[in-house]
Amino acid sequence: MPRMPRIDAHGHVFAKVTREFPREASGNTPPEREETVEKLMSYMAASDVDQAMLVQIGGTSVAQHAYLLHCLRSYPDRFLGIGLIPEAAYGAPEEHMDRLTDGTGIVGFRLGMVGGPPDPFDPVDVRTFTTYPIWRHAAKKDLVLWLYVRAADAHLIAWLVDAFPQVRVVINHLGICPGLGKGRTDQWGRPQIDIVPYNPAFHTTHRLSTYENVTMKLSGHYAFSKEPYPYPDLAGWQKNFLGTFGADRLMWATDFPWIYEEPGYDKLAKLVEENTPEIKPHEHEAIMGGTAKRFLRFPDLK
Amino acid sequence: MTMESGPTPAERKQWEEDGYLVFEGAIRGEMLARLQKAFDHWAAACKEDWLVGVARGELAATYYDIPNVLEKDEVFLDILDRPRYFEYVRAFTEDDMIFIGEQVRTAPLWPMGYTGWHPDVRPDHPLHIKVQVYVNDVERGGGEFAYVPGSHRPGAGPYPRVKNLEAMPGYRRFPGRAGTAVMFNTYGWHVAMENHTGIPRKSIILTYEKRTPGKIDPERYAHLSPSLNTPDRRRLFGMT
Repeated sequence: MPRMPRIDAHGHVFAKVTREFPREASGNTPPEREETVEKLMSYMAASDVDQAMLVQIGGTSVAQHAYLLHCLRSYPDRFLGIGLIPEAAYGAPEEHMDRLTDGTGIVGFRLGMVGGPPDPFDPVDVRTFTTYPIWRHAAKKDLVLWLYVRAADAHLIAWLVDAFPQVRVVINHLGICPGLGKGRTDQWGRPQIDIVPYNPAFHTTHRLSTYENVTMKLSGHYAFSKEPYPYPDLAGWQKNFLGTFGADRLMWATDFPWIYEEPGYDKLAKLVEENTPEIKPHEHEAIMGGTAKRFLRFPDLK
Repeated sequence: MTMESGPTPAERKQWEEDGYLVFEGAIRGEMLARLQKAFDHWAAACKEDWLVGVARGELAATYYDIPNVLEKDEVFLDILDRPRYFEYVRAFTEDDMIFIGEQVRTAPLWPMGYTGWHPDVRPDHPLHIKVQVYVNDVERGGGEFAYVPGSHRPGAGPYPRVKNLEAMPGYRRFPGRAGTAVMFNTYGWHVAMENHTGIPRKSIILTYEKRTPGKIDPERYAHLSPSLNTPDRRRLFGMT
């Protein structure tokens, strides 16, 4: 019986800015920087990681997805992709979503907002939410939604998850929803998000374990932890997730390339067993790939 | 207040066996009206700051606690030692208790409960008692408090991590009129049930604990000193 593939469920690759691969530049993605899929594959091979989810970075337009699409075409059995949607298209996203998912290997879209009433005491009608057309189309086309939303919207996710039980939802990075003004970049060029220890996520995104169509990604520790690898201050979160979501709805990820230098891809490949030493072998296998294989429908390796 | 208003033998037995007691009408009449007015006033006054805290990722949007209420209106101090339940706190802590804090809380409507079943502290923690006072009427299915009777006792459980709150075996739910107080031992498993009524639940949760040396920094509540005008209150706040 073949072993379960090990799947890194979240990271980014990008090319230098060229006519072939246009993209937006930012502080940690300057035009001359490249983090190629081949470089990623060398790290994956060294840690016995078979497959990975490539999450679009560098712009929302179809043209700016060129490098992601190139990678998916080049290695169709190794990678799947998550795309982005321009905010201007949120009202009528169907054409954009269809163009990017039509046989390309892109299986869903990442959202940074939900777009409902900001006051939790206001009446809720999900049909008025900014991203409702995206959820509706994801339901129609069986697409995945990849959520890393702003803190103000954290409580709104549940309304849409409740309304669309058929949509597969992946909550990013331990369920943290970044607060306004809390982001910065550290000395290694990694995103850093200041969070409070008794985190609002306990009462918003973490509660989504109630819904069978929601999975949680164990990633991003480096951005939130106040301690170095293996981030012991977040180990309790992981243990709680095992009890609430269960291993069959948890996915390990590294958030490459930000972690290549510190703490290193190889270390992150051991993070789950480092900070949850009591984990059972079948749980570890699920978190390290089984859940991603099933929930995200990764292809069989050739 | 007198010790005579404390627990009867039957109530003490229920406390020891089940871990909770219910006091209907614990706060009523003019005091309840004062409490409701102060609650609503300060909830409105502090809401914008809460929303800023939510946007900054510092506060949850699924419940709203008015901060620092003891400084805002004396009615919040007056409810700390209401004889109807305070004499029971006194009795169960052998007249040696401290006040840990208050949560003056409104829970907006949400598709599920804002927390799952949980105990607050482990049984090796000093006795830890909460009194939850409903500020508005809380119907069944209106976010009411629920508790697993007996779950506070040593050796009880284990209890399952249920996704559906109603799947917890043996639990009891406590709807109640405004002014009802539910006292419970927080070693036990409890939760706020889902709210399908369309009315946000308003309640105040008061937390007391068996005194242990050094637990309270006397300076923490020094600013309230002029209002702590009884020996009980000064003791509750660690000032004697």
